[in-house]
Amino acid sequence: MSKDMKFLVVDDYSTMRRIVKNLLHDLGYANVTEADDGKTALPLLQNGSFDFLITDWNMPGMPGLDLLKAVRSNDKLKKLPVLMLTAEAKREQIVEAAQAGVSGYVIKPFTAVTLKEKIDKILGAQAA
Amino acid sequence: MSQPAALREPAPRTDVPAPDLLAQLQDLTCNLQNALDRFRLDSRLTRLAEKEVPDARERLQHVLKLTDQAAHRTLDLVEQSCPPADRTAKEAAALAEPWSRFRAGTITVADYCDLITRVDKFLLASRTDSEKVRANLNEVLLAQDYQDLTGQIIRGVMTLVSEVEVVLVDLARLAGANGGNHGPTAEELARGTGPVVPGVEQGAAVVNGQVDIDALLSDLGI
Repeated sequence: MSKDMKFLVVDDYSTMRRIVKNLLHDLGYANVTEADDGKTALPLLQNGSFDFLITDWNMPGMPGLDLLKAVRSNDKLKKLPVLMLTAEAKREQIVEAAQAGVSGYVIKPFTAVTLKEKIDKILGAQAA
Repeated sequence: MSQPAALREPAPRTDVPAPDLLAQLQDLTCNLQNALDRFRLDSRLTRLAEKEVPDARERLQHVLKLTDQAAHRTLDLVEQSCPPADRTAKEAAALAEPWSRFRAGTITVADYCDLITRVDKFLLASRTDSEKVRANLNEVLLAQDYQDLTGQIIRGVMTLVSEVEVVLVDLARLAGANGGNHGPTAEELARGTGPVVPGVEQGAAVVNGQVDIDALLSDLGI
């Protein structure tokens, strides 16, 4: 996969967005945009040409699960890889995210290695 | 002539109350006790609601601000440290090839002169860059001092939460409320309930780390 891929990182905490952005830069992905919840992310996704979405779950405004559902129900966005990066750890929630079409799920606190593995796995599955 | 005291009718006793009077007195005492309890509870509740809970909210707001500032300060310093560290690693890697030719005695005179100039520059730059990284690391260290302050504030708020807990339990007892342990609703779960806290949420309903999640997702075909 090209390192020019456009990432959108959605999290209500700016520190977490900066951490993810720095880790993505380390992985060679320099094209990273940020949004602070689903409501601000959705128009960016609809108007931009993003290749990958990384989103938190628990956010004011529009939570990550609703953003995921909105992405999957949008013709233009429905195939967009969505990685959930969240502290939500209830089995019920993970099953719900899976049913809503999440591509990967990383639990916070996470490591750079885990993030890389999940991104690679999703991109690998997409390329296959 | 008066009768002897032993032959007289005994006078009616006034120190033994009638049974209904006794019951009324017991009711009155009980009501008074309840009223006093409620009054004590009311004044504690009022103090908590009007002063201490809003104060605690402000204190926690301050904790949020301090942790946010410290995290951003740390991230700034890390981001500032990456370019000098990258520069040093990159130039060291670039020097390795002509340096190995020099060690093998196969370097040309022109390349040797170039190598000497580059090593001179590298030594100077790497020293400056390392000093910059070292200074940033010291700043990162100092940026962690928020933990002492926030720890003290959080401990104070924990004491308040314990007090609120006692008052609420008393209130629930007075109101005759029946306790119940209800988990989050489907709507709450959909909005997100935040991180798992050890000792608060455990058991089969919660996954145990990334490995557990991967296994669950794999079962679900992801």
